[in-house]
Amino acid sequence: MNPSDLHALQLGDETAWDAAFDWLWPTVFAVAQLKLQPFLPDEIEDVAIESLEELVDKVRTVKSVEELKPLAASISHHRAVSLLRERFAKKRGAGKTESLDAPMDEAGHTNDPVSETSPFAKLEQKELAERLRRSLAELKPPQGEILSDFFLHGLRYEEIAQKRGVATGSVGVYLKRGLETLRKIWGRNENN
Amino acid sequence: MNDERFFDLAMKVIARQAGDAERAELDALLAREPELRAEFARLQADARVAKDVLPLANAMEATAGEFPAYARERLQTKVRQTLGHPAAKQKPDQSLAWGWRWILGLAAATAVIVLVALPTFRTPSGPVVQVAMLDTVGAVRGAGTNETEILKQQWKNSTVQTFDQTGPLENWETNWPTGGKMTAKVIYDHAAGEVRVLLHKGNKSQQKTFVIEQDLATTLQQASDFIHAQ
Repeated sequence: MNPSDLHALQLGDETAWDAAFDWLWPTVFAVAQLKLQPFLPDEIEDVAIESLEELVDKVRTVKSVEELKPLAASISHHRAVSLLRERFAKKRGAGKTESLDAPMDEAGHTNDPVSETSPFAKLEQKELAERLRRSLAELKPPQGEILSDFFLHGLRYEEIAQKRGVATGSVGVYLKRGLETLRKIWGRNENN
Repeated sequence: MNDERFFDLAMKVIARQAGDAERAELDALLAREPELRAEFARLQADARVAKDVLPLANAMEATAGEFPAYARERLQTKVRQTLGHPAAKQKPDQSLAWGWRWILGLAAATAVIVLVALPTFRTPSGPVVQVAMLDTVGAVRGAGTNETEILKQQWKNSTVQTFDQTGPLENWETNWPTGGKMTAKVIYDHAAGEVRVLLHKGNKSQQKTFVIEQDLATTLQQASDFIHAQ
């Protein structure tokens, strides 16, 4: 996408939107899937489509083409979380006995989809989009990849070094810089 | 014990990758240097943020998956309903206007609408043409004057009026002169990037919207041609 594409989108150009739907679909789908796969997998596609519909509503608030994907992701995230809250509330209200316990990861940490302690919990849609955009822009390669290797995939320093082609002694440096970048962008709200 | 070693030990403990010896080493270090406890707590918090943020950031970069064909028409309908043309009555998006002001760092609460409104083209057989420009940010960007000149060049002898809200423009759009003579109102909407033409004669009305695809002057000429074709 380029700036002229954004202008076309804001003017309702059908061809431009066709291209945008194809471009943004993997993002909105993947973000919805993150939250809904364990609980409401049948709703993922609907949430992704509704997210694109909401993006159409908001496209004239977008100032640069770089904002489009983070905004789409943010919309999808908020929609997925809202749906989970709504469904969980209904279950609780109906006195059903299905387990609402959040699944645990391999390390035994809960993966609560609607956790109030998440750094996203109290962020407005545009604020979340902006922080996501900054995260992608400011995590210089291979910081993001190494953070994911370590925290999401549980790889050890040596495995990361081999996978990424860096010295084992550098892995910690990348991790440290990556965490500092995230800390700068996401901060820490002690009230959370 | 250097900082690097402390960081690596802390990371391994936080990620549950530390062996007994490394865990004992970190415990001993924290006992010996209690000020590091705060740093360790901070790294634990950073790790929680990373675990929350990284999946979402990675999902944003996903490329797999094909947009379902059945959804395309539904979304294009949404596009037409929300952004489509002609949409003569569509108000300029106020949130976009606020975004402009934010970018410009201007705290001024008053946006400016420059309106040119005067019968400018009268021939014995031609319609009365009234021309208006709606630009919620024109004055602060300094573009309003230039665009007014372009409008004047198209419809010479026009008079420029200035408004700071959409209400007066809507009143102007619906205020037609009496009599049976055809009147055309031309509204240049800067925020929407379009020129709207409203035609009125007797009890009959017609409207057409021209999207500014090339430049304003070209679009104004298209609007003028349309008016004279009626």
